[in-house]
Amino acid sequence: MTALIVAGLAGIVLGGVLSSLPDRIAAGLWLQAAGALALGLAGARVLYGGDDWGAPFTSELTPQAGIDGMTGFFLAMLALVACPALVFASAYLPRTRAGRITAALGAAFLLALIGVLCARDALSFLFFWELMTLVPAAIILTGTSTEAARHTVFTYVAITHLGGAGTWIALLLLAHEGAIGDATALSEGSGVQAVIAVAAIIGFGTKAGLMPMHVWLPRAHPIAPASISALMSGVMVAVAAYGLIRVLVDWLGPPPSWVGAVMLVLGGLSALGGITYALFQRDLKRLLAYSTVEHLGVVALALGACLLLRRHGADEWASFALGAALLHTLNHATFKALLFLGAGTFERATGALELDRLGGLLRRMPWSGGAFLVGALAIAGMPLLNGFASEWLTLQALLRVPAYAGVWDGTLGALALAALAGTMALAVLCFVKVIGLVLLGPPRRSACAEAVEPPAPMRWALVALAGACVVLGAVPGLLLPRLTGLAPWADPGEPPVRPGLDLPGTGNLPTLGFLVVVCGLTGLLWLARGSRRAAVSPTWASGQLVEPQLLWTSAGFSKPLRLVLEAVLRPQREIETTTSGGVVQEVSYAGRVPHLIDDRLYRPVTSGALLAASWARRLQSGRLGTYVLYLIGLVVALLLAVRIGAIG
Amino acid sequence: MTSQSVTAGAAQVVGGVALSPLLVGLTQQAKARLQGRRGAGPLQPYRELRRLWGKSGVDVEGTTLVYRLAPLLVAAAMGAAILLVPASSAAPGLGVGHDALALAGLLALARLAVCAAAWDTSNGFALQGASRDLTLSVFVEAALVLSLAVAALVAGTTNLPGVVAGTAGGHPWTTPALGLAAVAFALVVIAETGRQPVDNPDTHLELTMIHEGPILEFAGRDQAFLQWALAARHWLVLVLAASIFLPHPHGIWWQLALLPVSLVLLCLALAVTETLVAKMRILLVPRLIGVGAAVALLGIVTWLVDAA
Repeated sequence: MTALIVAGLAGIVLGGVLSSLPDRIAAGLWLQAAGALALGLAGARVLYGGDDWGAPFTSELTPQAGIDGMTGFFLAMLALVACPALVFASAYLPRTRAGRITAALGAAFLLALIGVLCARDALSFLFFWELMTLVPAAIILTGTSTEAARHTVFTYVAITHLGGAGTWIALLLLAHEGAIGDATALSEGSGVQAVIAVAAIIGFGTKAGLMPMHVWLPRAHPIAPASISALMSGVMVAVAAYGLIRVLVDWLGPPPSWVGAVMLVLGGLSALGGITYALFQRDLKRLLAYSTVEHLGVVALALGACLLLRRHGADEWASFALGAALLHTLNHATFKALLFLGAGTFERATGALELDRLGGLLRRMPWSGGAFLVGALAIAGMPLLNGFASEWLTLQALLRVPAYAGVWDGTLGALALAALAGTMALAVLCFVKVIGLVLLGPPRRSACAEAVEPPAPMRWALVALAGACVVLGAVPGLLLPRLTGLAPWADPGEPPVRPGLDLPGTGNLPTLGFLVVVCGLTGLLWLARGSRRAAVSPTWASGQLVEPQLLWTSAGFSKPLRLVLEAVLRPQREIETTTSGGVVQEVSYAGRVPHLIDDRLYRPVTSGALLAASWARRLQSGRLGTYVLYLIGLVVALLLAVRIGAIG
Repeated sequence: MTSQSVTAGAAQVVGGVALSPLLVGLTQQAKARLQGRRGAGPLQPYRELRRLWGKSGVDVEGTTLVYRLAPLLVAAAMGAAILLVPASSAAPGLGVGHDALALAGLLALARLAVCAAAWDTSNGFALQGASRDLTLSVFVEAALVLSLAVAALVAGTTNLPGVVAGTAGGHPWTTPALGLAAVAFALVVIAETGRQPVDNPDTHLELTMIHEGPILEFAGRDQAFLQWALAARHWLVLVLAASIFLPHPHGIWWQLALLPVSLVLLCLALAVTETLVAKMRILLVPRLIGVGAAVALLGIVTWLVDAA
């Protein structure tokens, strides 16, 4: 076990060093992938074998490392994403200095993620946490150093550090109270417990991209290179979820019910808001980043259900809810990494990722296009693939909140249930649009008509992740009992082994049965349809030819929704008509859906802060005389205060 | 396996596969009579299917496997849903479980397949229908999940045979929560079957159509599969409405015997609604169904207050 872990770490470190050398970048990345695989195997062994490795959690401030079941699960998830992403990068990153630096910093990023997961004390946790925030910033700036990129990185670092203060407060308070690894240390309902809960939700929630702390995420994730975007959107947000689960579920003891309620509210907001704004993005990677907000919202919903159910004594369902949160984190990591890598492939093949200017890529790139299709179906929550299994589990957990948690929390649970159902339908709308605009229809640019499959390693990475989506969708039941067993209140015992999800009080989700029945029926119907005597015809457009100007756009497809949600979204549109001599010469149209949280929440705060700063700057004239005057004024004010008895 | 569950399973599968076009035919016939026409008779959908089965298909230029698989996948998803939705409180295990919330996934799968095929053909009418259908589905899915949630809370399980058993007897009359959920589910039935005031099944005008749009490019056996799937959708939601939200007896034999009666009554109700109510403006429909979802939510609150 120790040998496996040391070999894994050595692989990543040596791979990082090797990939920074000229002409060794591919070998270095493969070595990093092997290292990540070894660590993932070690993690899976702890999860399935049950024996922890290394030190247990401690509130002392001496650096300790160890792996328990939860860490093992997240290490396996990291390997599942990182191995394909690194193999992909070995063909994707350019053979330039910037490419080498990105590859080497990628190894540092991996080590930081592993460090956060394996840290057993507050100090090393916070050290790796900060490293995990800063390394991606460095990677982004290595690749692009435009004004816009620098501004984005500033926003990212500023917001995650402001929010990250919450992580520091939560961890240091927990260490101070001796509560790290000890759920009995905090007394129930105490003030310090409340402070830790709020600080953790802000700190980890910012990193997980929960609304309204998400604003950095859709900006920062898309501009990184594809392999790093995959790690950021797949694993980094999952590590934030790991932090939330550790604090709220493991260490806080039974928290008051408002903590669960807050998680439900934040989760519902993130899920609905994330997918709604994803629908109105023009750039594929930005759309994917918004959908990350959505999925972390789903995880937060499951976590909120877990806390409320635990609070109200429904321990069995609380552990199912925890299992739902963990399973959805894993599922999201696989399909989101797949989609980001796919987006990188398409960007490489066609030069741009504007949604309205792609099209027809499934025919040009059957392997990578097909893998992308599987990922898009999985993220849209189609039965047979992995997204549906965990979303079904989350729906079931939310349904149990009204069943167990009384009137107020129950009503909130019902609202969350409605929000998740709506979110799932919106995800179908969003990803049908993505499938249609990217993969199907005629190519909308000449570059798309001439796109070719990427080099083999990139293709393998995509196909491997698509395979993971299918396998996790077919047999989630082999994993779920292990995940529910991670709840601190779960009975230790050998869980039953079934491929599907069989839960008490439900009609069961036999995933394998779904796969067999739906695929079998499709095959039978294919045979029944027989050899087709199909006529080939052009698309019917009332007798016209379908010209490029008649093709549907992203904005057109989401227009009904935009009209329905007009009161909430406040879309802006401008139509300018240029007439000369009574004849219309030109009509120009511009429409956009503004991001209300940016506009209404952050803009006033930042402009207020800048205003206050400019006031403060007037005090700093730089002249010595002024500062002497300030000092004299202060002394006089103090003397006056003493004279009237206010102090002293 | 008892004789009860064998009979119930046979009723469920045979009814769903073979009798579902009859539901469409009955509704159309009743509607024709109400409007003073003679009508083509309740067996007309079968004749349509036979006619389509004999025709050749159409391959749209430049389409991929997505277009060719879509009608099959839609029919297969509906087939799986027929195995999932029981006709009474007894149902044999048919491989797909009997979970109420899993049904929402299968309906979404069918919807996605049709809409992806619409993108594959790049047909403007198809995409218009697809975008409208998916926009409505946001509200329909919320209303569907919430109304089924009420029934699941009353029955204490999301296992559909258990829900049918748990709501049997006087429940739909005496539990106000179920009454509210029934109102929401009625709207779901209208939306899922594509009937007025949500959609107009008789029109092929692009300005009014929702469900007809995305299937415009299919012909022959592909179109037959899609028409059958629409009929199967009628079967699924009407059977759920009859065996959960309408009063139904406890015994399985009684349930099976009364089911056809309830189904005919529901078809008549659909025909009456279609005759009395004009089609709504498309952008007002989400509001209507949103109100339905809110009513179902109110049902959950009622149940919570009742239980507290």
